Amino acid sequence: MNRIKGNQYINLKGVPCPLNFVKTKLKLETMGTGEVLEVELDDGEPITNVTASVKEEGHQILKVEKADEYWKLLIKKQ
Amino acid sequence: MTKKIYKDNELAGLRTGGIIKQKQKDYFILRTRIPGGHLKADLLKKYSTIAKKYGRDYVHVSTRQGIEIPWIHIKNIPKLLKDLKKLNILKGACGPRSRNLIACPGMSVCRFGFVDTEQLAGKLDSVAFGKEVPKKFKVAITGCLNSCAKPQENDLGFQAQGEPEVDLSKCIGCTLCAKVCEKVCLRGKRKPAIIMDENKRPIYRKKNCFFEGDCIRVCPVNAWKTKMVGFAVYIGGKVGRFPKFGVKIADFVKESQIPKIIRNTIRCYNRIAKKGERFGEALERQDLEKIKEEIL
Repeated sequence: MNRIKGNQYINLKGVPCPLNFVKTKLKLETMGTGEVLEVELDDGEPITNVTASVKEEGHQILKVEKADEYWKLLIKKQ
Repeated sequence: MTKKIYKDNELAGLRTGGIIKQKQKDYFILRTRIPGGHLKADLLKKYSTIAKKYGRDYVHVSTRQGIEIPWIHIKNIPKLLKDLKKLNILKGACGPRSRNLIACPGMSVCRFGFVDTEQLAGKLDSVAFGKEVPKKFKVAITGCLNSCAKPQENDLGFQAQGEPEVDLSKCIGCTLCAKVCEKVCLRGKRKPAIIMDENKRPIYRKKNCFFEGDCIRVCPVNAWKTKMVGFAVYIGGKVGRFPKFGVKIADFVKESQIPKIIRNTIRCYNRIAKKGERFGEALERQDLEKIKEEIL
């Protein structure tokens, strides 16, 4: 399997909307173009809201993956 | 100085132009209209000028996307009317006429909107506003299923809808589309419009779809796209003393058909309603199928 590794990682499990998106956005701002951020998010609104918002901000989403009770999101900074 | 400037019948004429008698003697409210609620900042300043010059330094923001300026003294009305014309402030309607056309912010800024509803409302003002009717007639345009402009509570309501389609070659099988779809359909008491097959590929079932576009918004790789945009049409809604929800008579009506639908609906309302009756009330005596044919 070709596993994509993130250059950076944040655990946002238990962080509610919209704070989870804000934290994702702030993290992305510290990163360079083309770098990959791995985010862990709760099931339900967090994963759907953050995915939609990150896309609207113009970043590329490489992977969305369910792992047990949470989700993993791989974002390539644009 | 003469005591009475206007006779009663002259005041009735003024009412059509958005000058409403206040409960206090000799004072009137100026009702203006802002089609679609889209107001240029420069024009907003002019409202301030009018409120300071003729009113009491405040305005009332109406529920129908108009600005009302109370405390206009009767002796100042002729001068005020001249100023309004000069400043391009549009007067609202009262009495048995169609009202300001309202809209949500629409797709220019809203992530949910399928249509630029504000701009569309502006274009439709000449078709929908100020027409003679038995009681009153309100039109609303809303950009999506969220119904912020409340199309179901207006005599005629347009609700934008977007039909989604999926490009399976882009799909990464994340299942988020099915997830958001299930949530919408559960609330709407339908089976999901998107389900995943055993290979984690989405299957779309149009008959269950609410055309709200959640799948399009959530898709991380833009595999879901808007295939078609149109409008659901609601008729006969009202609030007032005896509220009534509008009924949906069509889906995916084209934007170009809207002026015709507005004209037909106003004509139909004038044909079927008694004086003082709202469209929805008059519709109760009608065969809805025939009304649909007349309007659409």
